[in-house]
Amino acid sequence: MKFMDYFTEAEVTRIHEASLDILQNTGLSVRNEKAREIFKKAGCSVDETTHLVKIPGKLVEECRQSYVPEYTFTAQDPKFDIVLPDNRPVVITGSSAPNIIDPKTGEDRRATSSDIANIANLINELDGFDVFSISTLAQDAPKGQISVSRFYPALKNCKKPVRSNTPTIKDLEDVLELGAIIAGGKEAYKERPFINHHYCPVVSPLTMDVDSTDAVIYLTEKGLPVYGTIVPNAGMTSPMTMTGTLVLGNAEFLALSTLIQLIRPGAPMIYAVLSTVADLRTGNYAPGAVETGMLQMAHSQMARFYGVPSGGYIGLTNSQINDAQCGYETGINTTGALLAGSDMFNMGGLLGSLMAFDFSKAVIDNEIALMLKRMKRGMEFSEENLCLDLIHEVGPGGTYLDLKHTQKNMRKMAFYPKVATREMRKKWEASRSTAEERAFDQVNKIFENSVQKTFSAEIDEKIRSNFPGLVKGDMVW
Amino acid sequence: MSTQAIYDAIMEFEDDDVVEAVKEAIEAGVDPQIILNEGLIGAMDEVGRLFSIGDLYVPEMLMAANAMKAGMQVIKPYLKGDDGGKGLVVIGTVEGDLHDIGKNLVSMMMESAGFEVIDLGIDVPADKFIETAKTNNAGIICLSALLTTTMTTMGETVDAIKKSGLSVKTMVGGAPVTEEFAKEIGADGFAEDAGEAVVFARNLLAS
Repeated sequence: MKFMDYFTEAEVTRIHEASLDILQNTGLSVRNEKAREIFKKAGCSVDETTHLVKIPGKLVEECRQSYVPEYTFTAQDPKFDIVLPDNRPVVITGSSAPNIIDPKTGEDRRATSSDIANIANLINELDGFDVFSISTLAQDAPKGQISVSRFYPALKNCKKPVRSNTPTIKDLEDVLELGAIIAGGKEAYKERPFINHHYCPVVSPLTMDVDSTDAVIYLTEKGLPVYGTIVPNAGMTSPMTMTGTLVLGNAEFLALSTLIQLIRPGAPMIYAVLSTVADLRTGNYAPGAVETGMLQMAHSQMARFYGVPSGGYIGLTNSQINDAQCGYETGINTTGALLAGSDMFNMGGLLGSLMAFDFSKAVIDNEIALMLKRMKRGMEFSEENLCLDLIHEVGPGGTYLDLKHTQKNMRKMAFYPKVATREMRKKWEASRSTAEERAFDQVNKIFENSVQKTFSAEIDEKIRSNFPGLVKGDMVW
Repeated sequence: MSTQAIYDAIMEFEDDDVVEAVKEAIEAGVDPQIILNEGLIGAMDEVGRLFSIGDLYVPEMLMAANAMKAGMQVIKPYLKGDDGGKGLVVIGTVEGDLHDIGKNLVSMMMESAGFEVIDLGIDVPADKFIETAKTNNAGIICLSALLTTTMTTMGETVDAIKKSGLSVKTMVGGAPVTEEFAKEIGADGFAEDAGEAVVFARNLLAS
């Protein structure tokens, strides 16, 4: 499959040079002291009063030498390990929404740790999803346990790679401890670190924060998996042109990458973005806009230039319910990104621009994910697949319906959707069901057949004595 | 000499022209109160109307507010006592959060509606809010958060303000913040967007 390119080679080079120009001449405000030290040691000019760090182009280029082309998401169950870009498109849930659409009442409310357990179970069962990024917060988390109250139900109920963030180093250490207990020790955990960390350490324009940057430094030093997402917002935190926003975001990616490679050369990274264009009629955030997809496509071309896997939050929607807008926003932007070579899609399950999780949306996104995977599998060109002999044999006017060849291929060649209807009008009228209702039927079916997963009694005891009063972490359906 | 030139300059978002026009009007002996009401505030009312019907976009409103502010600086010394000020507001993004776009919008809208605003910027610890409100005798403290993870800090900040014993109202806002959450953490007010924040602040101070 050939990827779609927006830019010529010369334009790509110019965007790269322009990014270096930004980092070298304007620089970044780096609010994290450790990060400033790392940059300073490497020869950047650092102003301790303004926190301004100017990164020489030469240093960025040197650090580029240690970029690696792969990134692995490790799972508790090794059969779910997934590697970028080989397993592209890697599909992940959207994360950290404060709210959930209650599956019974349909009302929007704050999410809890049991919701996370339910969602984790759903994502574990949906084939389209490769990684579970913890979709919501947990309002019922005991004091001091905001993060473990999210990771515990997630890890208990989903054996695919689990991904999310933590607000402080203390929370991060708690989560790593949880991982070590589940793995049966620190060393065993380090061997297979199945918690995949993600942060947004750069606040556009050109600012590195304290806490997320701290986490990125901490994890990179320890050799644990972490990557960042770059999030400029055209008109608000970046210029009101596509290229201007791209170049600013690209510069921010290079700054973060330089920091990571300075700490540990060869540390795997993902060129991940959520570059958007603000709706300037109101100032509203618009991750569902077509420009989000276009920027993702352009960033993916830059990622190819740098030789790192690409992706980001792509396929999000602004819609508040699971409606047509939801479908076309997710559909158009993920299709564009797939065709432009993006490897990773944080796309599943969220409504209202990352504000609420919805079960039926997750199932429809699963179906979209499976369609994207089908599209990526492509035409499978071969002499055999040309079927020249068969076409001669059947000739004009015959049928392929009763052939062994058809029977042999039919289950693997086509993708058969479970949500989309292909019924004729009369038959459909018997139920008059909507896509959302059919998606919800699938949700209910999954939960009917789900058994609560557990850790061994020994592990669970250890977890509970380490985190007294921790949430139960079980599904409530 | 009318205030038309001032009005026009704001509608064209030209700060320098507004300053020039206000100076000329003062020299020509136009009543400063008329300059304020018909020129500056009159234009902002029209800007608000055009924004609400979708003709003007957010950047244009901000530019108009900036132009109006430039004019206000010139006219201020000539206004006696009440300059249309509706109270003093201290605003900032809570500790740990560096996001300020939404907060800036609220800040601008409040200023153009006649509030005096002290913007403490981003990553503001509770003490600083309290200190500033105390020294400046503020009526309202507005807290902003974008990150779902800094919402807890917002609750702690509201707590600290209450414990300080200041007779100041608190208002909260930001993408993850809801009316319910505002109530839960004991804030006096919540607004979904910048326009609502202004209306709410007015009511809060009137109550």
